[in-house]
Amino acid sequence: MSVAELKERHIAATANVNALRERLKQRRQELLDTDVAGYAKSHGKTAIGFGSTDLVCCRTLQGHTGKVYSLDWTPERNRIVSASQDGRLIVWNALTSQKTHAIKLHCAWVMTCAFAPNGQSVACGGLDSACSIFNLNSQVDRDGNIPISRVLTGHKGYVSSCQFVPDQETRLITGSGDQTCVLWDVTTGQRISVFGGEFPSGHTADVFSVSINSSNSNMFVSGSCDATARLWDTRIASRAVRTYHGHEGDVNAVKFFPDGQRFGTGSDDGTCRLFDMRTGHQLQIYSQQLDNNDNEVPTVTSIAFSISGRLLFAGYSNGNCYVWDTLVAEVVLNLGALQNSHEGRISCLGLSADGSALCTGSWDKNLKIWAFGGHRRVI
Amino acid sequence: MQANGVEASSIDHKPPPSAEARGKHRILAELKRLDQEARFLEEELEELGRTDTVSAALQELLLRVESRPDPLLPVTNGPANPSWDRWFEGPQDLHGCKCWIL
Repeated sequence: MSVAELKERHIAATANVNALRERLKQRRQELLDTDVAGYAKSHGKTAIGFGSTDLVCCRTLQGHTGKVYSLDWTPERNRIVSASQDGRLIVWNALTSQKTHAIKLHCAWVMTCAFAPNGQSVACGGLDSACSIFNLNSQVDRDGNIPISRVLTGHKGYVSSCQFVPDQETRLITGSGDQTCVLWDVTTGQRISVFGGEFPSGHTADVFSVSINSSNSNMFVSGSCDATARLWDTRIASRAVRTYHGHEGDVNAVKFFPDGQRFGTGSDDGTCRLFDMRTGHQLQIYSQQLDNNDNEVPTVTSIAFSISGRLLFAGYSNGNCYVWDTLVAEVVLNLGALQNSHEGRISCLGLSADGSALCTGSWDKNLKIWAFGGHRRVI
Repeated sequence: MQANGVEASSIDHKPPPSAEARGKHRILAELKRLDQEARFLEEELEELGRTDTVSAALQELLLRVESRPDPLLPVTNGPANPSWDRWFEGPQDLHGCKCWIL
Protein backbone atom coordinates (compact mmCIF):
# COMPACT_ATOMS: atom_id res chain seq x y z
CA MET A 1 0.00 0.00 0.00
CA SER A 2 1.37 3.45 -0.83
CA VAL A 3 1.90 6.22 1.69
CA ALA A 4 -0.95 8.17 0.11
CA GLU A 5 -3.33 5.23 0.53
CA LEU A 6 -2.20 4.72 4.10
CA LYS A 7 -2.81 8.36 4.83
CA GLU A 8 -6.34 8.04 3.49
CA ARG A 9 -6.93 5.04 5.71
CA HIS A 10 -5.58 7.07 8.63
CA ILE A 11 -8.04 9.88 7.94
CA ALA A 12 -10.92 7.39 7.79
CA ALA A 13 -9.82 5.64 11.00
CA THR A 14 -9.55 8.97 12.82
CA ALA A 15 -13.03 9.95 11.66
CA ASN A 16 -14.36 6.59 12.85
CA VAL A 17 -12.80 7.02 16.32
CA ASN A 18 -14.18 10.56 16.60
CA ALA A 19 -17.65 9.38 15.60
CA LEU A 20 -17.52 6.59 18.19
CA ARG A 21 -16.42 9.06 20.87
CA GLU A 22 -19.34 11.33 19.98
CA ARG A 23 -21.81 8.43 20.14
CA LEU A 24 -20.40 7.42 23.52
CA LYS A 25 -20.72 10.98 24.79
CA GLN A 26 -24.35 11.20 23.64
CA ARG A 27 -25.26 7.82 25.08
CA ARG A 28 -23.76 8.83 28.41
CA GLN A 29 -25.69 12.09 28.33
CA GLU A 30 -28.92 10.12 27.91
CA LEU A 31 -28.15 8.20 31.09
CA LEU A 32 -27.52 11.39 33.07
CA ASP A 33 -31.11 11.71 34.30
CA THR A 34 -30.03 13.63 37.40
CA ASP A 35 -26.98 14.48 39.45
CA VAL A 36 -26.19 14.00 43.13
CA ALA A 37 -27.47 17.46 44.13
CA GLY A 38 -30.68 17.10 42.16
CA TYR A 39 -31.38 13.75 43.72
CA ALA A 40 -30.36 14.76 47.26
CA LYS A 41 -32.40 17.98 47.23
CA SER A 42 -35.45 16.17 45.90
CA HIS A 43 -35.11 13.89 48.91
CA GLY A 44 -35.10 16.79 51.33
CA LYS A 45 -31.37 17.10 51.94
CA THR A 46 -30.10 20.54 52.91
CA ALA A 47 -26.61 21.95 53.18
CA ILE A 48 -24.47 21.33 56.26
CA GLY A 49 -24.52 24.42 58.50
CA PHE A 50 -21.16 25.32 59.99
CA GLY A 51 -20.86 27.86 62.77
CA SER A 52 -18.09 30.41 62.38
CA THR A 53 -15.92 28.66 64.96
CA ASP A 54 -16.69 25.04 64.10
CA LEU A 55 -13.73 24.24 61.87
CA VAL A 56 -10.68 25.89 63.32
CA CYS A 57 -6.98 25.96 62.67
CA CYS A 58 -5.55 24.25 65.75
CA ARG A 59 -1.89 23.89 64.69
CA THR A 60 0.51 25.73 62.42
CA LEU A 61 3.54 23.67 61.45
CA GLN A 62 6.44 26.01 60.70
CA GLY A 63 9.88 25.05 59.54
CA HIS A 64 10.01 24.84 55.77
CA THR A 65 11.83 27.73 54.12
CA GLY A 66 10.11 27.29 50.78
CA LYS A 67 6.68 26.57 49.33
CA VAL A 68 5.07 23.37 50.56
CA TYR A 69 4.20 21.17 47.59
CA SER A 70 2.98 17.89 49.03
CA LEU A 71 1.99 16.17 52.26
CA ASP A 72 0.88 12.75 53.46
CA TRP A 73 -0.37 11.38 56.79
CA THR A 74 0.64 8.09 58.35
CA PRO A 75 -2.06 5.45 58.69
CA GLU A 76 -1.53 5.56 62.45
CA ARG A 77 -3.04 8.98 62.86
CA ASN A 78 -0.70 11.72 63.99
CA ARG A 79 2.38 12.00 61.78
CA ILE A 80 2.78 13.87 58.55
CA VAL A 81 5.52 14.05 55.95
CA SER A 82 5.78 17.22 53.86
CA ALA A 83 7.86 18.14 50.81
CA SER A 84 8.95 21.64 49.97
CA GLN A 85 10.64 23.86 47.44
CA ASP A 86 13.42 24.18 50.04
CA GLY A 87 14.54 20.72 48.94
CA ARG A 88 13.60 18.97 52.15
CA LEU A 89 11.17 16.50 53.57
CA ILE A 90 10.04 17.14 57.12
CA VAL A 91 8.31 14.55 59.27
CA TRP A 92 6.03 16.11 61.87
CA ASN A 93 4.13 14.92 64.89
CA ALA A 94 1.02 16.91 64.09
CA LEU A 95 -0.35 16.60 67.63
CA THR A 96 2.70 18.14 69.30
CA SER A 97 3.85 20.21 66.27
CA GLN A 98 7.33 18.78 66.73
CA LYS A 99 9.60 17.89 63.82
CA THR A 100 10.90 14.36 64.16
CA HIS A 101 12.95 14.21 60.93
CA ALA A 102 14.30 16.67 58.41
CA ILE A 103 15.66 15.07 55.25
CA LYS A 104 17.80 17.06 52.85
CA LEU A 105 17.20 15.75 49.35
CA HIS A 106 19.82 15.17 46.66
CA CYS A 107 17.49 16.74 44.15
CA ALA A 108 15.89 19.86 45.58
CA TRP A 109 13.10 19.90 42.98
CA VAL A 110 10.69 17.67 44.83
CA MET A 111 7.00 17.51 43.84
CA THR A 112 5.50 14.69 45.86
CA CYS A 113 5.93 12.66 49.05
CA ALA A 114 4.25 9.72 50.72
CA PHE A 115 4.35 7.70 53.93
CA ALA A 116 4.72 3.93 53.85
CA PRO A 117 1.85 1.97 55.47
CA ASN A 118 4.01 1.00 58.45
CA GLY A 119 5.10 4.61 58.98
CA GLN A 120 8.78 3.61 58.94
CA SER A 121 9.65 4.91 55.47
CA VAL A 122 8.88 7.88 53.28
CA ALA A 123 9.07 8.29 49.53
CA CYS A 124 9.48 11.37 47.38
CA GLY A 125 9.89 12.27 43.74
CA GLY A 126 10.27 15.24 41.46
CA LEU A 127 12.24 16.68 38.57
CA ASP A 128 14.99 14.08 38.94
CA SER A 129 12.49 11.63 37.35
CA ALA A 130 13.11 9.21 40.19
CA CYS A 131 11.38 8.19 43.40
CA SER A 132 13.64 8.08 46.49
CA ILE A 133 12.86 5.98 49.55
CA PHE A 134 14.16 6.86 53.03
CA ASN A 135 13.99 4.60 56.08
CA LEU A 136 13.30 6.85 59.06
CA ASN A 137 15.07 4.43 61.40
CA SER A 138 18.33 4.61 59.45
CA GLN A 139 21.42 5.92 61.12
CA VAL A 140 22.25 9.37 59.87
CA ASP A 141 25.41 9.92 57.86
CA ARG A 142 28.35 12.19 58.71
CA ASP A 143 26.40 15.27 57.67
CA GLY A 144 23.46 14.32 59.84
CA ASN A 145 21.34 13.30 56.85
CA ILE A 146 19.24 10.18 56.52
CA PRO A 147 20.73 8.18 53.63
CA ILE A 148 18.59 7.05 50.71
CA SER A 149 17.67 3.39 51.08
CA ARG A 150 16.41 2.90 47.53
CA VAL A 151 16.01 4.92 44.32
CA LEU A 152 13.34 3.91 41.84
CA THR A 153 14.59 4.89 38.41
CA GLY A 154 13.00 4.33 35.03
CA HIS A 155 10.57 7.19 34.45
CA LYS A 156 11.47 9.36 31.46
CA GLY A 157 9.88 12.44 32.99
CA TYR A 158 9.31 14.11 36.34
CA VAL A 159 7.59 12.18 39.13
CA SER A 160 4.51 14.24 40.00
CA SER A 161 2.81 11.91 42.46
CA CYS A 162 3.44 8.80 44.49
CA GLN A 163 1.51 6.61 46.88
CA PHE A 164 2.34 3.37 48.69
CA VAL A 165 -0.14 0.57 48.09
CA PRO A 166 -2.09 0.53 51.39
CA ASP A 167 -1.90 -3.11 52.39
CA GLN A 168 1.45 -3.87 50.79
CA GLU A 169 4.50 -2.39 52.44
CA THR A 170 6.70 -3.06 49.46
CA ARG A 171 4.71 -1.60 46.61
CA LEU A 172 4.33 1.94 45.43
CA ILE A 173 2.66 3.65 42.49
CA THR A 174 4.03 6.75 40.79
CA GLY A 175 2.57 9.15 38.23
CA SER A 176 4.88 10.96 35.83
CA GLY A 177 5.38 13.69 33.28
CA ASP A 178 6.29 10.88 30.85
CA GLN A 179 2.51 10.13 30.65
CA THR A 180 2.77 6.82 32.47
CA CYS A 181 2.11 5.41 35.91
CA VAL A 182 4.34 2.70 37.32
CA LEU A 183 3.88 0.05 40.00
CA TRP A 184 7.19 -0.56 41.79
CA ASP A 185 8.62 -3.20 44.07
CA VAL A 186 10.36 -1.01 46.63
CA THR A 187 12.57 -3.78 48.03
CA THR A 188 14.14 -4.60 44.66
CA GLY A 189 13.69 -1.24 42.95
CA GLN A 190 12.16 -2.98 39.95
CA ARG A 191 9.20 -1.82 37.88
CA ILE A 192 6.44 -4.42 38.19
CA SER A 193 4.12 -2.79 35.64
CA VAL A 194 3.93 0.30 33.45
CA PHE A 195 0.49 1.78 32.81
CA GLY A 196 0.20 3.71 29.57
CA GLY A 197 3.12 4.75 27.41
CA GLU A 198 3.45 2.44 24.44
CA PHE A 199 0.24 0.64 25.30
CA PRO A 200 -2.98 2.11 23.92
CA SER A 201 -5.56 3.70 26.26
CA GLY A 202 -2.81 5.35 28.28
CA HIS A 203 -2.74 9.04 29.06
CA THR A 204 -1.72 11.29 26.19
CA ALA A 205 -0.16 13.97 28.39
CA ASP A 206 1.61 14.35 31.74
CA VAL A 207 0.15 12.49 34.71
CA PHE A 208 -0.27 14.82 37.67
CA SER A 209 -1.94 12.73 40.32
CA VAL A 210 -2.68 9.17 41.42
CA SER A 211 -5.01 7.73 44.05
CA ILE A 212 -5.24 4.10 45.14
CA ASN A 213 -8.58 2.60 46.12
CA SER A 214 -8.35 1.78 49.83
CA SER A 215 -11.27 -0.68 49.51
CA ASN A 216 -9.61 -2.56 46.65
CA SER A 217 -5.93 -1.80 46.35
CA ASN A 218 -5.72 -3.46 42.93
CA MET A 219 -7.45 -0.39 41.51
CA PHE A 220 -6.07 3.09 41.19
CA VAL A 221 -7.03 6.21 39.30
CA SER A 222 -4.75 8.74 37.61
CA GLY A 223 -5.35 12.36 36.56
CA SER A 224 -3.60 14.02 33.65
CA CYS A 225 -2.98 17.13 31.62
CA ASP A 226 -4.97 15.37 28.86
CA ALA A 227 -8.08 16.42 30.83
CA THR A 228 -9.06 12.87 31.69
CA ALA A 229 -8.90 10.57 34.64
CA ARG A 230 -8.22 6.87 34.01
CA LEU A 231 -8.90 3.82 36.10
CA TRP A 232 -6.28 1.07 36.18
CA ASP A 233 -6.20 -2.49 37.47
CA THR A 234 -2.66 -3.21 38.65
CA ARG A 235 -3.04 -6.78 37.40
CA ILE A 236 -3.76 -5.62 33.84
CA ALA A 237 -1.25 -3.05 32.65
CA SER A 238 -2.07 -3.41 28.97
CA ARG A 239 -5.07 -1.11 29.00
CA ALA A 240 -6.94 1.32 31.21
CA VAL A 241 -10.15 -0.12 32.64
CA ARG A 242 -12.01 3.11 31.89
CA THR A 243 -11.38 6.70 30.82
CA TYR A 244 -13.41 9.50 32.41
CA HIS A 245 -14.10 12.53 30.26
CA GLY A 246 -15.71 15.81 31.28
CA HIS A 247 -13.06 18.20 32.49
CA GLU A 248 -12.02 21.01 30.17
CA GLY A 249 -8.52 21.40 31.51
CA ASP A 250 -5.66 19.56 33.20
CA VAL A 251 -6.76 17.21 35.95
CA ASN A 252 -4.46 18.21 38.79
CA ALA A 253 -5.87 16.07 41.56
CA VAL A 254 -7.68 12.76 41.93
CA LYS A 255 -8.85 11.16 45.16
CA PHE A 256 -10.97 8.10 45.81
CA PHE A 257 -14.23 8.61 47.67
CA PRO A 258 -14.18 6.88 51.09
CA ASP A 259 -16.48 4.04 49.96
CA GLY A 260 -14.14 3.13 47.11
CA GLN A 261 -16.99 3.17 44.57
CA ARG A 262 -16.45 6.72 43.34
CA PHE A 263 -13.66 9.22 43.03
CA GLY A 264 -13.24 12.98 42.90
CA THR A 265 -11.16 15.11 40.57
CA GLY A 266 -9.91 18.71 40.59
CA SER A 267 -8.93 20.58 37.48
CA ASP A 268 -7.47 23.66 35.80
CA ASP A 269 -11.02 24.30 34.55
CA GLY A 270 -11.84 25.42 38.08
CA THR A 271 -14.22 22.56 38.85
CA CYS A 272 -14.19 19.44 40.95
CA ARG A 273 -16.16 16.44 39.75
CA LEU A 274 -17.41 13.20 41.22
CA PHE A 275 -17.31 10.11 38.99
CA ASP A 276 -18.78 6.66 39.49
CA MET A 277 -15.90 4.20 39.13
CA ARG A 278 -17.92 1.27 37.84
CA THR A 279 -20.30 2.94 35.39
CA GLY A 280 -18.11 5.87 34.35
CA HIS A 281 -20.93 8.36 34.98
CA GLN A 282 -20.11 11.90 35.99
CA LEU A 283 -22.29 12.18 39.11
CA GLN A 284 -21.72 15.81 40.03
CA ILE A 285 -19.85 18.97 39.10
CA TYR A 286 -18.69 21.27 41.91
CA SER A 287 -18.31 24.65 40.31
CA GLN A 288 -18.26 28.22 41.51
CA GLN A 289 -19.90 30.97 39.49
CA LEU A 290 -17.54 33.20 37.54
CA ASP A 291 -17.24 36.64 39.05
CA ASN A 292 -18.63 39.64 37.20
CA ASN A 293 -15.22 40.91 36.25
CA ASP A 294 -14.59 37.71 34.31
CA ASN A 295 -11.26 37.26 35.97
CA GLU A 296 -9.41 34.08 35.25
CA VAL A 297 -11.07 31.10 36.93
CA PRO A 298 -8.95 29.88 39.85
CA THR A 299 -7.69 26.37 39.24
CA VAL A 300 -8.17 23.49 41.65
CA THR A 301 -4.81 22.40 43.03
CA SER A 302 -5.76 19.65 45.47
CA ILE A 303 -8.74 17.79 46.92
CA ALA A 304 -9.64 15.53 49.84
CA PHE A 305 -12.87 13.97 51.14
CA SER A 306 -13.93 13.83 54.76
CA ILE A 307 -14.18 10.31 56.11
CA SER A 308 -17.89 9.95 55.34
CA GLY A 309 -17.56 11.66 51.98
CA ARG A 310 -20.05 14.36 52.98
CA LEU A 311 -17.40 17.07 52.70
CA LEU A 312 -15.06 17.76 49.80
CA PHE A 313 -12.12 20.00 50.60
CA ALA A 314 -10.70 21.76 47.54
CA GLY A 315 -7.66 24.03 47.41
CA TYR A 316 -7.58 26.68 44.68
CA SER A 317 -4.82 28.72 43.07
CA ASN A 318 -6.23 31.98 44.52
CA GLY A 319 -5.75 30.83 48.12
CA ASN A 320 -9.31 29.70 48.72
CA CYS A 321 -9.99 26.36 50.28
CA TYR A 322 -13.65 25.60 49.75
CA VAL A 323 -15.48 23.04 51.80
CA TRP A 324 -18.15 21.57 49.52
CA ASP A 325 -21.20 19.70 50.81
CA THR A 326 -20.90 16.86 48.30
CA LEU A 327 -24.56 15.88 48.46
CA VAL A 328 -26.07 19.30 47.66
CA ALA A 329 -23.07 20.69 45.77
CA GLU A 330 -22.84 23.90 47.79
CA VAL A 331 -19.85 25.61 49.37
CA VAL A 332 -20.47 25.56 53.12
CA LEU A 333 -17.21 27.11 54.28
CA ASN A 334 -14.05 28.72 52.90
CA LEU A 335 -11.05 27.81 55.06
CA GLY A 336 -9.03 30.36 53.10
CA ALA A 337 -11.16 33.15 54.52
CA LEU A 338 -11.07 32.01 58.14
CA GLN A 339 -9.03 33.58 60.85
CA ASN A 340 -5.50 32.27 61.06
CA SER A 341 -5.62 30.81 57.56
CA HIS A 342 -2.81 30.52 55.04
CA GLU A 343 -1.38 33.56 53.32
CA GLY A 344 -0.81 31.86 50.02
CA ARG A 345 -2.08 29.20 47.64
CA ILE A 346 -3.02 25.89 49.24
CA SER A 347 -1.09 23.33 47.21
CA CYS A 348 -1.91 20.11 49.03
CA LEU A 349 -4.48 18.67 51.41
CA GLY A 350 -4.92 15.47 53.36
CA LEU A 351 -7.19 13.95 55.99
CA SER A 352 -5.83 12.11 59.00
CA ALA A 353 -6.57 8.38 59.01
CA ASP A 354 -9.42 8.72 61.52
CA GLY A 355 -10.85 11.73 59.69
CA SER A 356 -10.59 14.00 62.72
CA ALA A 357 -8.20 16.50 61.16
CA LEU A 358 -7.40 18.07 57.83
CA CYS A 359 -3.87 19.18 57.03
CA THR A 360 -3.31 21.88 54.43
CA GLY A 361 0.05 22.79 52.91
CA SER A 362 0.68 26.12 51.30
CA TRP A 363 2.99 28.28 49.23
CA ASP A 364 3.26 30.42 52.40
CA LYS A 365 5.72 27.70 53.61
CA ASN A 366 3.45 26.46 56.40
CA LEU A 367 1.21 23.52 57.08
CA LYS A 368 -1.94 23.91 59.12
CA ILE A 369 -4.11 21.43 60.96
CA TRP A 370 -7.86 21.98 61.02
CA ALA A 371 -10.30 20.14 63.29
CA PHE A 372 -13.87 20.47 64.51
CA GLY A 373 -13.86 22.60 67.64
CA GLY A 374 -17.55 23.38 67.95
CA HIS A 375 -20.40 21.55 69.60
CA ARG A 376 -20.86 18.19 67.91
CA ARG A 377 -24.25 16.49 67.98
CA VAL A 378 -24.01 12.71 67.73
CA ILE A 379 -27.20 10.95 66.69
CA MET B 1 21.47 22.25 -15.50
CA GLN B 2 22.65 23.62 -12.21
CA ALA B 3 20.81 25.74 -9.70
CA ASN B 4 22.68 27.50 -6.93
CA GLY B 5 25.70 25.29 -7.56
CA VAL B 6 23.73 22.09 -6.94
CA GLU B 7 23.34 19.41 -9.55
CA ALA B 8 19.76 19.32 -10.85
CA SER B 9 19.62 15.58 -10.53
CA SER B 10 20.16 15.88 -6.78
CA ILE B 11 17.17 18.18 -6.36
CA ASP B 12 14.69 15.40 -6.03
CA HIS B 13 11.31 15.96 -4.35
CA LYS B 14 10.77 12.27 -3.88
CA PRO B 15 11.95 11.18 -0.36
CA PRO B 16 14.73 8.63 -0.29
CA PRO B 17 13.48 5.05 0.05
CA SER B 18 14.48 4.70 3.74
CA ALA B 19 12.60 7.86 4.73
CA GLU B 20 9.50 6.61 2.88
CA ALA B 21 9.69 3.29 4.69
CA ARG B 22 9.94 5.07 8.02
CA GLY B 23 6.91 7.22 7.13
CA LYS B 24 4.88 4.11 6.23
CA HIS B 25 5.94 2.42 9.42
CA ARG B 26 4.80 5.41 11.48
CA ILE B 27 1.42 5.58 9.78
CA LEU B 28 0.92 1.83 10.14
CA ALA B 29 1.69 2.03 13.86
CA GLU B 30 -0.72 4.90 14.25
CA LEU B 31 -3.39 2.99 12.28
CA LYS B 32 -2.95 0.02 14.59
CA ARG B 33 -3.41 2.31 17.59
CA LEU B 34 -6.55 3.87 16.10
CA ASP B 35 -8.03 0.47 15.28
CA GLN B 36 -7.43 -0.67 18.83
CA GLU B 37 -8.96 2.50 20.22
CA ALA B 38 -12.02 2.02 18.00
CA ARG B 39 -12.42 -1.53 19.39
CA PHE B 40 -12.18 -0.24 22.97
CA LEU B 41 -14.78 2.45 22.22
CA GLU B 42 -17.14 -0.09 20.66
CA GLU B 43 -16.78 -2.31 23.72
CA GLU B 44 -17.54 0.65 25.95
CA LEU B 45 -20.62 1.55 23.88
CA GLU B 46 -21.87 -1.99 24.21
CA GLU B 47 -21.28 -1.94 27.97
CA LEU B 48 -23.05 1.40 28.23
CA GLY B 49 -26.09 -0.19 26.66
CA ARG B 50 -26.32 -2.39 29.74
CA THR B 51 -25.58 0.39 32.26
CA ASP B 52 -28.11 1.97 34.61
CA THR B 53 -28.90 5.67 34.73
CA VAL B 54 -27.14 7.92 37.26
CA SER B 55 -30.11 7.99 39.63
CA ALA B 56 -30.03 4.20 40.08
CA ALA B 57 -26.91 4.37 42.26
CA LEU B 58 -27.63 7.55 44.20
CA GLN B 59 -29.88 6.15 46.92
CA GLU B 60 -27.06 3.87 47.98
CA LEU B 61 -24.59 6.78 47.87
CA LEU B 62 -26.74 8.91 50.17
CA LEU B 63 -27.20 6.05 52.64
CA ARG B 64 -23.49 5.32 52.80
CA VAL B 65 -22.51 8.95 53.28
CA GLU B 66 -25.10 9.70 55.96
CA SER B 67 -24.50 6.56 57.97
CA ARG B 68 -20.73 6.86 58.46
CA PRO B 69 -19.54 8.71 61.60
CA ASP B 70 -17.62 11.83 60.57
CA PRO B 71 -15.67 13.89 63.16
CA LEU B 72 -15.66 17.02 60.99
CA LEU B 73 -19.45 17.32 60.80
CA PRO B 74 -21.50 19.31 63.33
CA VAL B 75 -24.14 16.57 63.28
CA THR B 76 -23.05 13.00 62.71
CA ASN B 77 -24.03 9.41 63.27
CA GLY B 78 -22.35 7.69 66.16
CA PRO B 79 -20.47 6.21 67.69
CA ALA B 80 -18.19 9.14 68.39
CA ASN B 81 -14.61 8.44 69.32
CA PRO B 82 -13.16 10.50 72.20
CA SER B 83 -9.83 10.70 70.40
CA TRP B 84 -11.46 12.87 67.73
CA ASP B 85 -11.02 15.80 70.11
CA ARG B 86 -7.36 15.17 70.92
CA TRP B 87 -6.48 18.25 68.86
CA PHE B 88 -7.99 20.43 71.58
CA GLU B 89 -6.71 18.61 74.63
CA GLY B 90 -3.74 19.43 76.80
CA PRO B 91 -1.42 22.35 76.31
CA GLN B 92 -1.83 23.52 72.79
CA ASP B 93 1.30 24.91 71.30
CA LEU B 94 -0.49 26.54 68.42
CA HIS B 95 2.72 27.63 66.75
CA GLY B 96 4.85 24.76 68.02
CA CYS B 97 8.44 24.31 67.15
CA LYS B 98 9.52 27.21 64.99
CA CYS B 99 13.07 26.19 64.34
CA TRP B 100 14.08 26.65 60.75
CA ILE B 101 15.64 23.73 58.98
CA LEU B 102 18.67 25.11 57.15
